[in-house]
Amino acid sequence: MLRRSMLHAMSGFAALAALPPAFGQNVRRRLTFSWPTNAGPLHPHLYSPNQMYAQSMLYEPLVRYVEGGKILPALATAWEMEEDGRAWRFTLRPGVRFTDGTPFDAAAAVANVNAVLGNRARHAWLELVNQIDGAEAIDPGTVRLRLKGPYYPALLELALPRPLRFVSPAALRPDGSIAAPVGTGPWVLAETAHGQHDRFRRNEQYWGEKPVLEEVLVRVLGDSNARALALESGEIDLTYGTDQLDADTFRRFAADPRFTTAISPPIGTRMLALNSARFPTDELAVREAIAQGIDRAALVRHILLDTEPAAETLFARNFPYTDLGLRAPAFDRAAATARLDAAGWRLPAGGRVRSKGGKELALDLCFIGADALQKAIGEAVQGDLARIGIAVRLVGEDASTYYGRQRSGEFGMIFGDSWGAPYDPHAFMSSMRAPSHADYQAQRGLPMKSEIDRRIGAVLSITEEARRAEEYRWLLTTLHEQAVYFPVSFFTNKVVHRPALGRVPFGDMRTDIPFDRIGRG
Amino acid sequence: MLGFALRRLATLLPLLLIVSFGFFAMLRLGRGDPALDYLRLAQIPPTDAALATARQQLGLDRPLLVQFLHWLGDALRGDLGASWFTGRPVTEEIALFLPATLQLAGTAMLVTILAGVPLGIWAAMNRDRWPDHLTRAITFLGVSVPNFWLGFLLVLLFAVTLGWLPAVGRDGPSSIILPALATAAMSASVMLRLVRASVLGVLGEPHLRFARARGLPARTLLGRHIVLNAMVPPLTAIGLHLGELMGGAMVVETVFGWPGLGRWALLAISNRDYPVLQGFVVVMTTVFVLCNLLVDLTYAWLDPRIRLERAA
Repeated sequence: MLRRSMLHAMSGFAALAALPPAFGQNVRRRLTFSWPTNAGPLHPHLYSPNQMYAQSMLYEPLVRYVEGGKILPALATAWEMEEDGRAWRFTLRPGVRFTDGTPFDAAAAVANVNAVLGNRARHAWLELVNQIDGAEAIDPGTVRLRLKGPYYPALLELALPRPLRFVSPAALRPDGSIAAPVGTGPWVLAETAHGQHDRFRRNEQYWGEKPVLEEVLVRVLGDSNARALALESGEIDLTYGTDQLDADTFRRFAADPRFTTAISPPIGTRMLALNSARFPTDELAVREAIAQGIDRAALVRHILLDTEPAAETLFARNFPYTDLGLRAPAFDRAAATARLDAAGWRLPAGGRVRSKGGKELALDLCFIGADALQKAIGEAVQGDLARIGIAVRLVGEDASTYYGRQRSGEFGMIFGDSWGAPYDPHAFMSSMRAPSHADYQAQRGLPMKSEIDRRIGAVLSITEEARRAEEYRWLLTTLHEQAVYFPVSFFTNKVVHRPALGRVPFGDMRTDIPFDRIGRG
Repeated sequence: MLGFALRRLATLLPLLLIVSFGFFAMLRLGRGDPALDYLRLAQIPPTDAALATARQQLGLDRPLLVQFLHWLGDALRGDLGASWFTGRPVTEEIALFLPATLQLAGTAMLVTILAGVPLGIWAAMNRDRWPDHLTRAITFLGVSVPNFWLGFLLVLLFAVTLGWLPAVGRDGPSSIILPALATAAMSASVMLRLVRASVLGVLGEPHLRFARARGLPARTLLGRHIVLNAMVPPLTAIGLHLGELMGGAMVVETVFGWPGLGRWALLAISNRDYPVLQGFVVVMTTVFVLCNLLVDLTYAWLDPRIRLERAA
């Protein structure tokens, strides 16, 4: 009798094992996620407080970006460059409708582009908006964008989460505001409870492959410790992003068999900018000694707990035009010391700080005081540089003052991030020409700064691939050789969830959370 | 009584004016550039032209006093400006988040009274015996453990390990238990010690010896002669506790994802969202003054000597 029962039980298990994973693993139909603030009013063309992850859930671009800078079809199925890059013709995907039933056609696309151009000053940071002369509907299925001049990153910038995405023209008011967030994307905003949550439902009329999940509930939760506890108690199902959990907590989940964790390929760069226009980092030998005197591997191992790979270059190799074989100088305290000695920076007898011509080798490292990670990295850098005779004063301040320093150039070294895909390298480098950016201030003292700025401007209009690659090679190699940056690590997205959620892929852009692909495959 | 209440209410206006101006000036005279903060929150690149426009739009190019008078004029019309982050009116956001904070602080106050008063009486009636030692140990922990840390410990035990209560959010009656406990811990501990001391003070008074000599039952002694007389000092402390509870809620709300004013203000502090911070200070000042007024009125109502003193 007992044997028979056991056999029945075993056959039951075998039958269960034979079922597709969707049944056997009880794949979730509803996902609870968390985010520090509400999603916002979800205007596709505007910025704060609209959250980019949510804008990307509702609104789609003409073309989409995938890792490495490749462009794939989205609302446009084909595109063609015309007039040597002065215009682009897009064939629109047939049969696409907004969630209010309005068809997505050339008129809808033109209405949206015109709304963006009507607020051109607000989007002036994005070069494509400055370059667009106008948009016209050739026929209901074809739209043409006219540019003022050739602009090679046009497709990359059309793929951005904002502003060039499409809301239903029925919801678009003449003043550019929207009556309701109505897009063509795989999700619909079903409910917003301020301070509590946003609820997204699957767009059942979606033109593409529909999400496996039926609903995504995003709870408003700002504290990373609270988020970790909510994940453990099962009140949220997923954490995803660069900083949703600190490195220590992520490692704890990684060691817990009840959770699945993963780290994405690099999506941006965490770095220190060295001010080439300010004593003592105006001297190349000092910048080179700093590059050799900081133990990058130890920073990544002990502070970031290997959740981000060490960065030797300004951009990771999985970004366009950046795989140039450049290497950072190896950590070598003796070589750094010798370099400073050779440059005339001497340690006084019994002293700990080098000096030259009566001036001490001392500089400020500025960071946001409330940022524990920046503080920890800063302290490690201070310790490393003290051992080669460079005094680093740590200046931790509120975010406002910190950003003010980035703008004014009042720093010796300062933390900075690259913008990530798809802004890197072209848009990030383009911003290096603006005096309001820390990068401009850091590079201002370089003898070839005007040439750098000129070439950055030129590369954006080069339509020939090989020439463009050659320009990027010169720019990135020059910045690398001038040691104006100390790349620390490459940002990664970190994901933690329970296995029952199924597969959680990574988004191609830093701000994308691919809810629509969770549980697929 | 009514005159007393009206006089106290009349002091609220100058107090609000002084606090508002003091805070307004502190925000703007500190390091940092409000125009840069505004652009950063609105995610507008801080070019020189954008900064100049922002300074003009926000009136930052005018003298501080003029800026304040402009704000005051709007505030008197019920307009506290719009959040630089969300773009929504500050009054609307206050109306949205204040109820949750009042609910949390109110529940925490209830916990403070329900735990602090009986335990304080119990400790006093058993002076230097084990209940007194036990409550002393509890209060020592209660005032020493930071509320946010206690919050995490409570979540770890009751939500993660036992799974009895939710860890975050405001989704039902059970979701307020842990945040209220974390918020109330310190106030309840202080209340317990205060009640204990007050009861001990009453226990030594001659009228109680006389009542005992009259042969009054222990229940009547406790209810009418000890507790009632001992309650006046703890009651006055409630006003102070309310301040503690509202302040404590700021951090606790963040730990528990509680959608209240505290979390809203904490986000505004990290964002340097000036209109929100200014509105928050005005609301909190008003709440504090009104609560203290309420306590004063209750105090006078409970103790006829105070009423008579004020009338004289």
